[in-house]
Amino acid sequence: MFRKNGTKSFAYLAGGFFLLVLLSLIHLTQGQADYTIRELLTEVWKPGRVQDILLSFRMPRLVIGILAGGALAVAGAILQTLTNNPLASAGTLGINAGAFFFVVVSTIFFPSFLGGMTFLTALFGAVLSSVMVIVLAGKQMEPVRVALTGMIISLLFASLTGSLQLLFENETNGLFLWGSGTLVQLNWDGVQFAAPVIILAFIAALVIAKSLDIYSLGEDIATSLGQNVGSIKIVTWAIAILLAAVTVSVVGPIGFIGLMAPHIVRMLGVKGHFWIISHSFLWGSVMLVGADVLGRFIQPGQEVPVGAMTALIGGPWLLYLAWKTAKTHQRGDRQMGGALKPKRLSVVLGIIGSLIIIVFVCALSFNGSEWSFEWMKPVILNFRVPRVITAFIVGVMLAITGVLLQGVLRNPLADASVLGVTSMAGAGAMLLLVLFPAIPVQYMPFGAIVGAALALGIILFTSWKNNFQPMLVALMGIAISAFGSAATQVFVVKAKLAVAAALVWLSGSTYAKGWDDVQLALILFVLFIGPAIYVTRSLDALTFGDDVASGLGLSVRNARIGAMVIGVAISTAGVALVGTIGFVGLVAPHIARRLVGFRHLPLLVVSGLLGGLLLVSADFIGRIIIAPKDIPSGLVVALIGTPYLLYLLRKMK
Amino acid sequence: MKRLSIYVLMLALLTIILAACSSDEEKTQDTETKEEAVTIQGSNGEVTLDQPAKKVVVLEWTYAENLLALGIQPVGMADIDSYGDYVNIEPQLEDTVVDVGGRQEPNLEAIAALEPDLIIGVDFRHTAMLKDLESIAPTVIFNPYPTDESIDLYEEMETTFNEMAIAVGKEAEAEEVLADLEDTYEEKTAEIEAADLKTKDTILTLAYSGAAAPEIRVFTPNSMASIILDKLGLNNVHQPDQFEVFGSSTFNVEGLTKYENANYMFTVPDEDNIYENQLKGNAVWENLAFVKEDRTYDLGAATWLYGGPLSAKTLVNQITDVLVNK
Repeated sequence: MFRKNGTKSFAYLAGGFFLLVLLSLIHLTQGQADYTIRELLTEVWKPGRVQDILLSFRMPRLVIGILAGGALAVAGAILQTLTNNPLASAGTLGINAGAFFFVVVSTIFFPSFLGGMTFLTALFGAVLSSVMVIVLAGKQMEPVRVALTGMIISLLFASLTGSLQLLFENETNGLFLWGSGTLVQLNWDGVQFAAPVIILAFIAALVIAKSLDIYSLGEDIATSLGQNVGSIKIVTWAIAILLAAVTVSVVGPIGFIGLMAPHIVRMLGVKGHFWIISHSFLWGSVMLVGADVLGRFIQPGQEVPVGAMTALIGGPWLLYLAWKTAKTHQRGDRQMGGALKPKRLSVVLGIIGSLIIIVFVCALSFNGSEWSFEWMKPVILNFRVPRVITAFIVGVMLAITGVLLQGVLRNPLADASVLGVTSMAGAGAMLLLVLFPAIPVQYMPFGAIVGAALALGIILFTSWKNNFQPMLVALMGIAISAFGSAATQVFVVKAKLAVAAALVWLSGSTYAKGWDDVQLALILFVLFIGPAIYVTRSLDALTFGDDVASGLGLSVRNARIGAMVIGVAISTAGVALVGTIGFVGLVAPHIARRLVGFRHLPLLVVSGLLGGLLLVSADFIGRIIIAPKDIPSGLVVALIGTPYLLYLLRKMK
Repeated sequence: MKRLSIYVLMLALLTIILAACSSDEEKTQDTETKEEAVTIQGSNGEVTLDQPAKKVVVLEWTYAENLLALGIQPVGMADIDSYGDYVNIEPQLEDTVVDVGGRQEPNLEAIAALEPDLIIGVDFRHTAMLKDLESIAPTVIFNPYPTDESIDLYEEMETTFNEMAIAVGKEAEAEEVLADLEDTYEEKTAEIEAADLKTKDTILTLAYSGAAAPEIRVFTPNSMASIILDKLGLNNVHQPDQFEVFGSSTFNVEGLTKYENANYMFTVPDEDNIYENQLKGNAVWENLAFVKEDRTYDLGAATWLYGGPLSAKTLVNQITDVLVNK
């Protein structure tokens, strides 16, 4: 048995190696200077142009591809063992996003320190986001929770990066390609810098392979077998973080390799971490080099970010993987939490109501430099008043979405962004912009609606059979969302100059909303609020679990579909109005639940008001803080909302 | 470098003084004839003003530059802070010009407070808020990057400049500025001719540092900067494989080998000088013919390659200066 396994494993290694050599040879023939294979073969041996190009551009590019692919795959493999989660990777856990955010910071504020500085800042970002995941995901490392936490952290850093690109439009010009991952090299510096780190980390991973074998049996068993579980964890995290940081600083955040490669290796039947890690490295290299070959094959002479290619291949794969994971794992219903002794609704409503009035008065009267209470003055009446009202209505809508979707998924971390609706809406809108560069920005909502519908369609299609089991829906959502954000990033690169417009829209902005927007928002709100209130009753029943709910005569599937479709519809309406604003749908219901408990109708009302309050405040802050400039309110919400959300996650053990 | 910029500055100043002197006389007769309705053509259609605009809010740098070239200070302008880092022309903006926020999301209330007669924006940013801008004042937006391949970007620049001149009732000044630019071309073409360059073939680039390798934008023949090269009797040898709507293709150093026999002109930000920091010592770069034969020409950091006639003039002067004085 062992022998057979061994020869099989060896055969796969040899096969993979052969494939890598083949792809590498193709890779070396590609480049902006057109040389035929014959020219390359004859000229490479003597000093001269061809040799120079091969030695200082193409070889380092190939080598960095091999190293980075391997590094990402190894990081993914060990993170998956560590978090006991087949969906873990440096990309999905938010480590890449954290690292890249700090890279952007360092390029903007310390442009002359590129090089070592980039790595240090990337490392800092990677450590920071890993610590956040570890602290927030809880001790059990429950897969869905880990994945959700990672996603929220990715969203946070992505929105921060977006805001920097927006505020420093001209300074971040060179970052677009980097932002989606590119293997372009200029000399051996990148390799010289990355190779020792990656090789050492790889060896370290192999050294701890035996311990990981034992660790994967479960922490208790590992401890009883005399393993020091704590130090294994720390060492493994350290290796993964190091690998992620070094790849981000040299080639940018490249997703999906870390997910796909280890999974393929496991599918091949490779057993034991020593072999899993070795195989992962090889297949990671094969995939990344392959993706680079493919990218340049599709558009010769142009740089297609390699991250785009991996996302293209990896997206569907991730969906499949999420689907499989959800089937094998047990139900991950979570206690929704919520105050057991709710405060009196009238008191809560009174307090929130007065807060809303105060914020409204401030928002209507202050423009960043002077107070004015003449709200009927045309300037204020035409620009400020409708803007504030739209922000309020959209905030209410987003919060209601959160309540409905959290009720359906029985997961307090659910939101339109978690279902992948928001990111697919963003990707749809960006795709429209790329396909028709001449199209005005106000048509972007159409793309967004198509994207959101697609996301919902995928979820409906894949989860129908399983009665919309919350776990499956959440994992599909995460997969869709990862795919959507990768696609968006790629489109941002493609859209070039129109990028500022796109970034504003993507980060969500209540800028320049007029009375017709108020009208539209009101119509949509009135249209959806009835059904939303209607489904709260079945959501209440669902809180007690599927069995009780069906005992009460409720069709669990219909109830879930109903609430989900309405939730997605409302969030799409919100996206169409103001772009992709996240976090309101996560934060508002949380606060509401702590105030009024888990019954859905009061929850809906209080969340809605809180959501409105939150978005109006965000809009106000964004408007005054660097007046006369605007900070998109979506970013402000992310900045206010995330710390609160992280605090809640921490408490929710 | 320093001496060079002083030289350019003095040159620019001199031409402006000359231009100012000559335009004084015409101004008087101008004001009488121009108190009637004017119609301008933007990418948002025809815009009619009862009389030429006096108080203009401008939301894009290039158009601010155009106004300055016409001798008008805008009342409000977007992103004033960074403007000076990228645009290098005389006359300067006055301190009284009000900052109306970012170029992407200009502050509508601030604009309205200025009570402008005309707002000038750019297609790819301000279409989304056109209605709001129009509720403040007549608004015209221009599209500097037409998707129609037959329109070259220089032509677009001139058309927009003339439209703006009509809007503010300064056609005579516009004519003068453009005539002056044409004279500059003629004069500089002669200077370059006299310098007896080894080759007239040229490429023009703008570079940023990327992840590990710099990203080099090579200007395509339909770009404004490239057409300026043509007017100076130089020959842009870059032929893109596909139509580039923004007028440049993205290259890495390997791609430059195709054009090594041309002159290499570039601008690069001071704080991100890839030639100093990254390319120095690189085997391929150092062995490119234009590097070995010392035919690389630094046009300076603050040369705005996407500007109007005055930026064009700065560019022409820079180009001539580096070619002749090297």
